[in-house]
Amino acid sequence: MLVLDGVTKQFGRARAVDTVSLTIPRGQFVGVIGRSGAGKSTLLRMINRLGDPSAGRISWDGSDVTALKGRALRDWRRRCAMIFQQFNLVGRLDVLDNVLMGRLAHADGWRAMAKLWSRDDRAIAMAALAQMDIAPLAPQRAETLSGGQQQRVAICRALVQEPEIVLADEPVASLDPRSSRIVMDALSRINRHFGLTVLVNLHSLDIARTYCDRLVGMAAGKLVFDDVPAALTDGVARDLYGLEANEVLERDDAPAPESGLAVTA
Amino acid sequence: MSDAPADLRAAFLARGAEMEAAYPQMFRADWRTRAGTIGLIGGALLVYVLGLYDLEFSPSVIFHGMWRLADIVGLMLPPSPGTWDRFLLYLDALGQTLSIALLGTLAAALLSVPFGFLAARNVVANGILHVLIRRSLDTIRSIDTLIWALIWINVVGLGPFAGALAIASSDFAAYAKLMSEAIEAADRRPVEGVAASGGGRLTAIRFGIVPQVLPILASQVLYYFESNTRSATIIGVVGAGGIGLHLSEAIRVLEWQETSFLILMVLVTVAIIDALSGRLRGAIIGRR
Repeated sequence: MLVLDGVTKQFGRARAVDTVSLTIPRGQFVGVIGRSGAGKSTLLRMINRLGDPSAGRISWDGSDVTALKGRALRDWRRRCAMIFQQFNLVGRLDVLDNVLMGRLAHADGWRAMAKLWSRDDRAIAMAALAQMDIAPLAPQRAETLSGGQQQRVAICRALVQEPEIVLADEPVASLDPRSSRIVMDALSRINRHFGLTVLVNLHSLDIARTYCDRLVGMAAGKLVFDDVPAALTDGVARDLYGLEANEVLERDDAPAPESGLAVTA
Repeated sequence: MSDAPADLRAAFLARGAEMEAAYPQMFRADWRTRAGTIGLIGGALLVYVLGLYDLEFSPSVIFHGMWRLADIVGLMLPPSPGTWDRFLLYLDALGQTLSIALLGTLAAALLSVPFGFLAARNVVANGILHVLIRRSLDTIRSIDTLIWALIWINVVGLGPFAGALAIASSDFAAYAKLMSEAIEAADRRPVEGVAASGGGRLTAIRFGIVPQVLPILASQVLYYFESNTRSATIIGVVGAGGIGLHLSEAIRVLEWQETSFLILMVLVTVAIIDALSGRLRGAIIGRR
């Protein structure tokens, strides 16, 4: 269970995240929505500790992760995988090596530096790629892949960390509708299949409504909505998005979920 | 798909044998590339050791030399110009060195603009012309500033003018090369955008390429100005004017306190230029 208690992030005089308290049980698929600049990314990055909260407490299964350092911090990051909007792969390394980055916290430091990956690490990485239907791309350089393929490589990297929670920061904002659907389906699959908690920042309301068990709305750093997707009426969305509302409420090119999966929620 | 959460590691490992059979090459460490890397590092080390042996390198010489160096450093303290008149003389020479660096760098920058464009393959498509310009630039660039100084001293006589010419000669070719590479690496899409709006070839270069390469060139020129302040000191030694002449003279007559004072003057100057050019560079490139 992930618990955020009064989490605040101050940048100079601006409050990017303002006393957010939130409890997320294991296995939930939670969408964080809100207009750009609402503090969604900052919130997610604080959970992975890429940014430190100015105030408040974040804990996972009762243990505080806000003040972790060194080895313990790296272990926490191993358990809470991060997926980025721009994928954040190492373009010049091949796909397999990129996925194996997710094994770094498990591997022996010096062997990893020499790229002497164990047979099991390679097997896990290849199986993850196969799970995402991109195993044949393993020897290619990551930068030669399309956006959708790169994001799936990033998901593999997250998976092989053997995480307990997956944070995804606008994972489909740079992708076309078809790739968006493939990536969101993949996240949905790992949530159901492996029982991983997924916390995903989304700009598009339709994707959020389609895939998430629960929606959390942010505006100007504050938590302003927390309920099941059905409770998010157009009126609430208009409050949340202001002038951008018409843009995010457009439904024509919204991706449909993989058949047979949407009902299991 | 099962309803109960599956153990990730176990699920993936279960497919290990299948994966190994399907993609055997992904399970082998690439020993050929690895052996190549190790061989290359070993070879380089061997050459280095052989070189030391050939140059009669001996640890004892270094060791005894270190004591001598410590002696000299001791003699350098405290740095002092000797007399007030000397100080003014040195200050004047330092100003001369700075002018050599500034004029040389500026002349090189201006001269390099047309050559940079001519040497860029996406501007001048003619293969023969391209190779010809590139090779001439390479030739000019391969001659060091010091050699240029010796040549120009014989042409225009001793003094700062020869120094400025020397810096301009060697640097203009370097800038032209840097610039042509920046032009070739420039994003093609803005050029297409200008051309598609009805712009001519020259306007496409002016508005599509120049805004992209200008910050790169400007930051290079600023960096070179700093580096050329040091170069201008060195060419002063061979008679191209400036503070270098005083420096070599001070060392020759074993005036160590004056030597250290002169070194300090150059050091402070370079540090000031470095700080200024850093700010200028930031202003030109613009903060993101």
